[in-house]
Amino acid sequence: MALLDRSDWYDIARDTNWTPGFVPREELFPSELSDPYDIPLAEWETFDEPYKVSYREYVKVQREKDSSAYSVKAALSRSKFHDGLDEGWASVLKLHYGAVALTEYQASQFQARMVRFGPSPSMRNMATYGMLDELRHSQLQLYFPHELLSRDRQYDWAHEAAHTKNWAILGGRHAMDDVMMCRDAITGAIMVSFAFETGLTNLQMVGLSTDAANMGDFTFSNMITSIQSDEARHAQLGSPAIEIMIKNGRKAEAQQAVDIAFWRMWRLFGITVGIPMDYYIPLEQRHLSFKEFMHEWIIRQYDRQVRDLGLETPWYWDLLKDDIENHHHCQQGGIWSWRPTVWWNPPGAVGPRERDWLEEKYPGWNDSYGTYWDVITDNLLNGREEKTHPECIPVICNMCQIPISNRPGPTWKARVVQHEHEGRRYNFCTEPCRWIFTTDPERYKHHESIVDRMYSGEINPPTLDNVLTYMGIGVVSEGGRDGHDYRWIDGFRAQAAE
Amino acid sequence: MSAFPILSRFQFDCHVKVVEAEPAQTIDALAAVCAHHSIGLHVADQPGKILRIRPTTDADDAEPWPRDMTVAEAGLKQFECIDIYFTDSDAA
Repeated sequence: MALLDRSDWYDIARDTNWTPGFVPREELFPSELSDPYDIPLAEWETFDEPYKVSYREYVKVQREKDSSAYSVKAALSRSKFHDGLDEGWASVLKLHYGAVALTEYQASQFQARMVRFGPSPSMRNMATYGMLDELRHSQLQLYFPHELLSRDRQYDWAHEAAHTKNWAILGGRHAMDDVMMCRDAITGAIMVSFAFETGLTNLQMVGLSTDAANMGDFTFSNMITSIQSDEARHAQLGSPAIEIMIKNGRKAEAQQAVDIAFWRMWRLFGITVGIPMDYYIPLEQRHLSFKEFMHEWIIRQYDRQVRDLGLETPWYWDLLKDDIENHHHCQQGGIWSWRPTVWWNPPGAVGPRERDWLEEKYPGWNDSYGTYWDVITDNLLNGREEKTHPECIPVICNMCQIPISNRPGPTWKARVVQHEHEGRRYNFCTEPCRWIFTTDPERYKHHESIVDRMYSGEINPPTLDNVLTYMGIGVVSEGGRDGHDYRWIDGFRAQAAE
Repeated sequence: MSAFPILSRFQFDCHVKVVEAEPAQTIDALAAVCAHHSIGLHVADQPGKILRIRPTTDADDAEPWPRDMTVAEAGLKQFECIDIYFTDSDAA
């Protein structure tokens, strides 16, 4: 017997908005978990997912994807790729796995919320696949680094990072708890599926896969491509939700959700993508600067998508453009300076050739960030390695949990944006981070940054050793060191000798 | 009153740093503590220049505190942000 075409049965099969007989609908779909915007059910039933798939088709395709990813890994595990691996690329892998593996598991839980509480049957159907996607991503990104553990204990952060109180993980968790774990199905769909996945990660994965292939890391490249193909599908859950909200007079709420989530993700993205692209990937393998990537894919294309949906360009767009010039350069300096606090080995990677490249891509870099690295380079050239380790800590933003930093040198811009609420002073890195706090102070006011915890008694006494142990350093693995053992200053030695 | 954290916004430094202030120390002594965490680590020294401290404001135009005033007299509080900046003389 011939099977019907999917289009012949799909609409009927997914229509599961039955009328409940034993409990009121509002108990089955409480507004705080489902739709807090009181949009009529009939409106949600118009939700039309752009990409349609049946469960049979989904299983067939996913099986093939998994088979390919694991086969490539098995075949290449006998290669010598990791034997002489540049520590810059190893840092990309360690940072990625630590930051992402269990975040994918959180994302699966978030998709499950849409599966159970999404008011639209189409949303629930598509989110079922999204939930399974994210579970697969978590499994892949736990399994792949596991084989590298025997080489380097820092790969254990793939599994352990999310269970620690490392400052970088606090930043990721604060953001993910905000946009994914503690939102209703509709707001979450807008924040995660549109602002995060459509806006940033789907595009990032295309670039990351290319970088991996350029490095000859075909196992990682193939795995990322496999994941990205899922993201491209389930990221489409956000757009229909935004269109229905706008149609039903909730444009302001949709806009705010998009603007909050995009900024929160951007601040993390600058570190997890910006630093690798402009510092960790060896010069010969860089195919695009982070700024070029951001302007092509985000400033132009994401903005166009936002406006095509009927929303406005985020109010902080000019601040974002400025942050693209500065944020990741600041954090490269900060992460390198406080390298014992992270689980990878960040290379300084600012030798003479790299500085020429940075100046070409970011005109004025030498006059600003160059002054910062000049002092560090001078210390290393003159045997003062101890002077490259600060004895204090940077203040941390009470929203993004990232060190508050900005451009150094003559065009100095470092500044704290302070805010008083109920007698407590909060410190923010930028005006958008402060703005997010003011949209819902009750939601954010109790959280303590790692700096707050040092002075609230939670880390007691707040000695360097205690702070590092609190963050999982020396517990999960040793902390970071310069990934190239300072070889990047050799070019300056050669210049001095000439 | 014991030592408490203030935010050191040191001129030309990339990072705003948490530095401990003592109520009885002078503003000059506090400037030296802040300098210890910035000069020679992330900021080049400027020999001959004098460091002054002022409250952080949006326009960077607040009057500096007198150099011999104490931290307690200046009224500095926990996590207050201060600017530490280079000047040509102590006349300012």
